[in-house]
Amino acid sequence: MKRFARARKNKQLVTGSVLACIIVLLALVGPMVFGDYNSQDLALSHKPVGTDGAFFGTDGLGRDLAARATFGIRISLIVAISVTAIAVIFGTIIGLIAGYTKGVVDSVASLVIDFIWGFPLILVAVLAAASIGSGLLPVILAVGLVNTVAIARVVRGEVLGISEKDFVVAAKAGGYSTLRILSRHVAPNVIPVALVLSSYYVAVAIIAEAALSFVGLGAQPPLPSLGQMVSEGRNYMRLNHWESTIPGVLIFVMVLSVSLIGDGLRDLLDPRLRTALERASSK
Amino acid sequence: MTPDPLLDIRNLSVGLRGDGIGYDIVRDVSLSLYPNEVLAVVGESGCGKSLTALSILALHASPPLYITGGSILFEGTDLTKLSPAKMRAVRGAEIAMVFQDPMSALDPMFTVGTLLTSAVKAHQKVSADVAKKISLEALADAGIEDPRRRFDEYPFQLSGGVSQRVMIALALVNDPKIIIADEPTTALDVTVQAQILDRLRELKNERGMSVMLITHNLGVVASVADRMAVMYAGEVVESGAVGEVLAAPHHPYTNGLLSAVPRLNSEASELVPIGGRVPQPNELPAGCAFADRCSFVTDRCRSEHPPLEHHARTEVRCHHPVA
Amino acid sequence: MKSVLKTTLLTLLLLIASSLAVFAAIRLSGGDVTAARLPASATAEDRELFRQQVGLDQPILRQYVTYVGEVFTGDLGNSLTNNASISSLAVEKIKNSAILGGMSLVLVFGVGIPLGMIAALKRNSWLDTGITSFSVAGMAVPNFWLALILIYIFATVLGWLPSAGQGGIEYLILPAVVLSAEGIALTVRMTRSAMIENLSQDFVRTLRAAGLSERRIYFKHVLRNSLLPIISLAGLRVGQIVGYALVVETIFGWPGVGQQLVNAVLRRDYPVVQFFSLLLVFVVTLGNLAASVGYTLANPRLRK
Repeated sequence: MKRFARARKNKQLVTGSVLACIIVLLALVGPMVFGDYNSQDLALSHKPVGTDGAFFGTDGLGRDLAARATFGIRISLIVAISVTAIAVIFGTIIGLIAGYTKGVVDSVASLVIDFIWGFPLILVAVLAAASIGSGLLPVILAVGLVNTVAIARVVRGEVLGISEKDFVVAAKAGGYSTLRILSRHVAPNVIPVALVLSSYYVAVAIIAEAALSFVGLGAQPPLPSLGQMVSEGRNYMRLNHWESTIPGVLIFVMVLSVSLIGDGLRDLLDPRLRTALERASSK
Repeated sequence: MTPDPLLDIRNLSVGLRGDGIGYDIVRDVSLSLYPNEVLAVVGESGCGKSLTALSILALHASPPLYITGGSILFEGTDLTKLSPAKMRAVRGAEIAMVFQDPMSALDPMFTVGTLLTSAVKAHQKVSADVAKKISLEALADAGIEDPRRRFDEYPFQLSGGVSQRVMIALALVNDPKIIIADEPTTALDVTVQAQILDRLRELKNERGMSVMLITHNLGVVASVADRMAVMYAGEVVESGAVGEVLAAPHHPYTNGLLSAVPRLNSEASELVPIGGRVPQPNELPAGCAFADRCSFVTDRCRSEHPPLEHHARTEVRCHHPVA
Repeated sequence: MKSVLKTTLLTLLLLIASSLAVFAAIRLSGGDVTAARLPASATAEDRELFRQQVGLDQPILRQYVTYVGEVFTGDLGNSLTNNASISSLAVEKIKNSAILGGMSLVLVFGVGIPLGMIAALKRNSWLDTGITSFSVAGMAVPNFWLALILIYIFATVLGWLPSAGQGGIEYLILPAVVLSAEGIALTVRMTRSAMIENLSQDFVRTLRAAGLSERRIYFKHVLRNSLLPIISLAGLRVGQIVGYALVVETIFGWPGVGQQLVNAVLRRDYPVVQFFSLLLVFVVTLGNLAASVGYTLANPRLRK
């Protein structure tokens, strides 16, 4: 209850959550309200914002921008959240194993983790697109890989600290199995960190998906994606800049809302975790 | 009869000022340091002794701490009124300081030599060679056996004792008149403590310096100091020659401290807290600050703040000094 | 020094492993190269013969070794789309990317560190608030979106700078600013917090007590201590620039490695993809290694 009261006072968390609710609502309801995102009518091309029947106007092919943008949010959210969820699960498991076993396993694992972590997400995604072709799949694979190692890295560091603590040492001395110690004593202490971190990686994933779709390597037409919409609209900046501005602002608001949630959650955690997270989110 | 004091702290108050808060942590403290003597300032942690020492060279964290009253006279100049540039000329050159926990008090990124020569060059216009010569001499004076080797080492390569000697060398390079040592031996083991204290005492004699020693250890006071001042809750409660005060303490607090010590000069002569707790500086009583813990307390003690008065050959802040 | 050698060797090992993985992934999935190289009338035997001639029937490890040998002799084959020699293409693209990337790196540290220092020195002033909010915004705006905003303001509306292409210094300004924006923001944040943390360290008080000037304490001692974390993450900044260059070069039509690689992937021009992918893997790895060695050399504890 105390924590809840503190959370309500946390402005970042409140603002971030409100923005996130609006975004999710748009993604859920938008495509139903605004109709087919791919119905073209060249007679209706480049209509301005507020046109009858096209709330956000239309693009060059006369497609309803509101329908496309809200569907784009849906795609962006599905990719970012599902991939990050997978990354949290695998990253936590890898980090737990590497940090707890120490020795050779840990040395090799951290060497590889650090090496991959040093690679920029966009480059990894382009390499993936180079091998398996453009589309959402290479984006998902790249974000999955990079976010997994990023989470594994922080979790490993946390585990190293926690496994020195008295309660873990005592559990070991008590002859409990490794699995039991990991699941009952170590994991509960590192999972909050992984979860808070995940909000940053949702932001990273949203940006990566948008950037790749922007250059044409992400979501393929006719599937709408916010990055792709920004890219298509940029040729008509003078004619109707909203074609670019609307999806651009939506990306910004999405990233801002998850970052605010991340910062807000971080402040709710204890200070020790804050420094670890600050380091991790400085990438 | 007595010479003029070299450093004369008069009615000094240092306090916290900020959004809607404002209270003094050091209150009305007067201390005199005479030429060629060791003055010990004793008290439990939080009594304001370190803050008093830091404020002499304006090293207290400001904001939020400010000197709120009184003066600090050094050779007739009020240090509290100096501009930052003039204060900088005093620091290290006239009055130097040695801190506790030498391991974190030395910049880890530079060699001992760089730290010492920077300190030399901060005050003396000399060539690099001369600065190095002065630094090596200071290291030797601080009791370091192999100054040339230490000169090129980094702080992390030094033991606690050697680090503290480097700190002392850093204080010596500009040949100051006063060294203020804030708990200089707290972080060290007992044998090293004794060596460092001996060295400080010898330096005082060799160089004719004065030393102000901040400590919570009565054993240290008894073995090196000439005079002492006992602080409690931001005030001086008793002061005088070490022999007088320790032989016949007049303030109930000093008395309590002494009886809590099993035997002087033994290793376990740390201050053992007396029952009850020290009042926080923002919740001081109207009368005597020690009243709640004192076994001789009267109504007068609770209502009237006692002044610091001569009693026998010491000064005591008590309505009912112990005979 | 021993640890530097160990790090370098391990990094080389990982570089070989990762470049082999990238090489294999691209070559194995690269589709039917013969379709691009041979006329449509070629028979199955012709195709098989061709594959043998260019060594595509060999095990992947051998192909990799052969390829590395070709890289060292400068014989990289030709582009599938315009038949241009990849080696001569590479020289030009690398030069262009080095100019843009180098400029961005200079901006990241040359602007980021001083701004962070000012923010720390003038802590809680309006200047600090301004710099800090600017750096928060720099991290939340995706750079392709920032690029469009800047193009719209400075090229479309004001007409001060060209929107794309390559030429004089005016062509470099917008892409370099966009490419370095997030790096500057992160460097400001790190410098500020490191300076503030170090300013409260005990050693600062010791130096003050010794009579050193505030300027000297700040610029020599506190700065030197604060640079360590910045150096340790400098490799990430290099990687970040490489990654974002893929997008930024494409937006600004900057004829560098990034634009080349993205176009080649879009056109399935596998020989070009192959070379430029491996090149970027190499550059990123080298950047991280340089930062790691730099950190060791800058830290007395590790150097000794």
